[in-house]
Amino acid sequence: MAEKKKMSVADILAAARADKQSATEPEKPVIESEAVASDVSDNSADESMASEVPEPVAKPSVSKPGSSGRPSVQEMLAMARANKAKPSEGPKATPKPAAKQPAAKKTATAKPSPVDGAKKNVQRDTASILAAARGGAKPGPVSKAEAPAFSKPTAKPIARKVAKTPSRPVPPRPVRPKQEKASKTAAADDRRGFLSYTVGSFMAVGFTALSATTGLFSLGLARFFFPNVLAEPPSRFKVGSKEGFPSGVVETKFVAQYGVWVVNADFEGIQQIYALKTVCTHLGCTPNWLEAEQKFKCPCHGSGFYKDGINFEGPAPRPLERYAISIAGDGQLEVDKSKSFQEELGQWNDPASYVTA
Amino acid sequence: MHSNGFFLNDVAGFLGGYYAFIAIMNGIAALVLWRKKDATTWAFVWSVFAGIMMIFASLALSGSKSMVPILPEAIRGLVNNLSGPVLYTLGTTAILVVLYVFRKFFVQPMVAWTVLNVSLLLLGLSMADENFAAIVMKPDNVPIVGLVYLLAFFTWVATKQAVVNDERIKQGLPVIEKVNDEKVLVWPDLVYTELICMIAVSALLLVWAIFLPAPLEEPASSVKTPNPSKAPWYFLGLQEMLVYFDPWYAGVVLPSLVVFGLMAMPYLDFNKKGNGYYSIEERKFSYLVWQFGFFELWITLIILGTFLRGPNWNFFGPFEYWTPYKVEVLNNVDLPQMFWVQWLNQPLPRAPQDAGLLSQIGYILMRESPGLLVMGVYLVALPPLMAVTIFRGFYAKMGFIRYMVMSNLMLLMLTLPLKMALRWTLNLKYIISIPEFSLNF
Repeated sequence: MAEKKKMSVADILAAARADKQSATEPEKPVIESEAVASDVSDNSADESMASEVPEPVAKPSVSKPGSSGRPSVQEMLAMARANKAKPSEGPKATPKPAAKQPAAKKTATAKPSPVDGAKKNVQRDTASILAAARGGAKPGPVSKAEAPAFSKPTAKPIARKVAKTPSRPVPPRPVRPKQEKASKTAAADDRRGFLSYTVGSFMAVGFTALSATTGLFSLGLARFFFPNVLAEPPSRFKVGSKEGFPSGVVETKFVAQYGVWVVNADFEGIQQIYALKTVCTHLGCTPNWLEAEQKFKCPCHGSGFYKDGINFEGPAPRPLERYAISIAGDGQLEVDKSKSFQEELGQWNDPASYVTA
Repeated sequence: MHSNGFFLNDVAGFLGGYYAFIAIMNGIAALVLWRKKDATTWAFVWSVFAGIMMIFASLALSGSKSMVPILPEAIRGLVNNLSGPVLYTLGTTAILVVLYVFRKFFVQPMVAWTVLNVSLLLLGLSMADENFAAIVMKPDNVPIVGLVYLLAFFTWVATKQAVVNDERIKQGLPVIEKVNDEKVLVWPDLVYTELICMIAVSALLLVWAIFLPAPLEEPASSVKTPNPSKAPWYFLGLQEMLVYFDPWYAGVVLPSLVVFGLMAMPYLDFNKKGNGYYSIEERKFSYLVWQFGFFELWITLIILGTFLRGPNWNFFGPFEYWTPYKVEVLNNVDLPQMFWVQWLNQPLPRAPQDAGLLSQIGYILMRESPGLLVMGVYLVALPPLMAVTIFRGFYAKMGFIRYMVMSNLMLLMLTLPLKMALRWTLNLKYIISIPEFSLNF
């Protein structure tokens, strides 16, 4: 029964037609039509409806379902009824036409407009009305609301019969109920298109939102580069008095905290104290001071520097850099990491780059 | 040698299993050969070898340190003294050349099996040495040992098929790939194979991760560089290149050129032969250039960087202790220094203190003129020169643009071995050295 709900009206009609043509189960249709008759006879008391009946019966000969737009419910019902009558007229007569014809006539004579059924029981949907027209045993899909009204057990699903049909007519295009809704309610259209009216289209909404988000993200990222607090050691720091740095000694105790070697050595004839930056000029590793060999040696690619920072082996292309060093007011040596001096640019002659020992 | 008494006890168990594995491997090989009936001599040889390996295994497991088979001290000392970057590079090149020239000999299964057994035996004998074992058995380096054997195997398989095909082509027969042209479906044949491989590899990785955990180190610090400091294994070739070049060239330009060159390869190749089958004779140039670039300039450098580069990136022999205090004389000078100071006996051209930027650049260009001249000749004059000499046929077939791209890529690739050779022979640091603008070559 579940798949019946999805069947369009036209499909049901086609299935109904096929049912009548197929001679597989001749008895059933009879029962069905009788059931319809009995079902319908309950409603036949309504006199006003009787006059309407002939109208739908005449129509089906003119209109094919699906060929001319969407047929109204009444048209469909009329078609269904007309099709029921067909088997008796058609050349492919069923084995028991006698049994069927009376049933069909019964339906006609009883003048049972299913429409009045629909009027009486407003909750019924189109499919169930059609099913009712075909036979009370198969009332079609039952919604929750109409469930109490259709407590009768249902028979075989129609879909199975459809599958069995030997010569099935080409099913007409299914009709979408949505279109009907949309055309009926123009006000709903306006409401849904509100955003489109305001910003152009949904693509524009999406891309505007995307650009806005990206813009905000970029701003946040830019902010990230200016932290409120810098957890860095101060760029200026004191390393002690001159006397703490005897001639020819490379002081390595400031490496871990400040990244600086303080050296007292001879450079170009001047005995000076200078602060060397502990960054290899090749790729930025931290070289080690090898006391026994009197050189700085980088573990990454083997660059070597003399005590004065001049590169002499390995791939380092230029000497180590110096930081600014001076004597502070209290007589201590003060290293300033904010300024550096490069030998290849002739900056080591700058008096700020060393203190004479 | 910093041998502590525990080392051999630790490694002995592993070596026992290792020798037993070689013995079983050879025993199976002997059995297979025996069943074949046509190689009973080899079956005999391998069964005897398996027996010897079984004895080695029991010696290793005997519990006595002195019984563990080990390479004689004299040989280890000799290897240590002889080995150096020059010998290593020239040696690997020579081995590869020999393997290439005598490939018809080496593709024979029994020859290959012999080579494999000899190498496994030497590896086992070396692993009893503590310094060797410390490097080879380090969890980081185990994959490189696997890489050596895997690469050797797959190259051998491909070369074997190429040799067979070359022989068939010479005789006018269709290549093997044409003869065995059996189509295999992607689904299920290939996909199933891949699935099985995936499961097997996952299982292997799982076991590997459990038994050889990654060596975790102390937290990183910007002021403390581990010694030696090594790149991941696949970048060790790059790290070795960086010993000879400025970072912008060896770290940026050359790797980009490698990628670019690999992409350009199909467009540069005008040789229609060798498509869909293995062949060396029909694609000698492509084959040699590729194998040189891959094996000599990438794989051997990875092996060098993994096993033979120790603290301070010094070269260490395979059985040498990795001391950070090893002194090696590696002094080097730039070409301008060499040209002006050593050859012309005059100071380097230097701009006066108050010179403007343009004048400074002029002085720099004058200082670097020898290097610029050398590089100009190498990259600008050499390609046309080669086009009319050794690559005459290539130029005719490829056209101007393709030829220029190919020749320049090749010349840039060759800068690495050339620079290495210049460093070793002339102690040359940079051909062009402009530290003022961080431009060194």
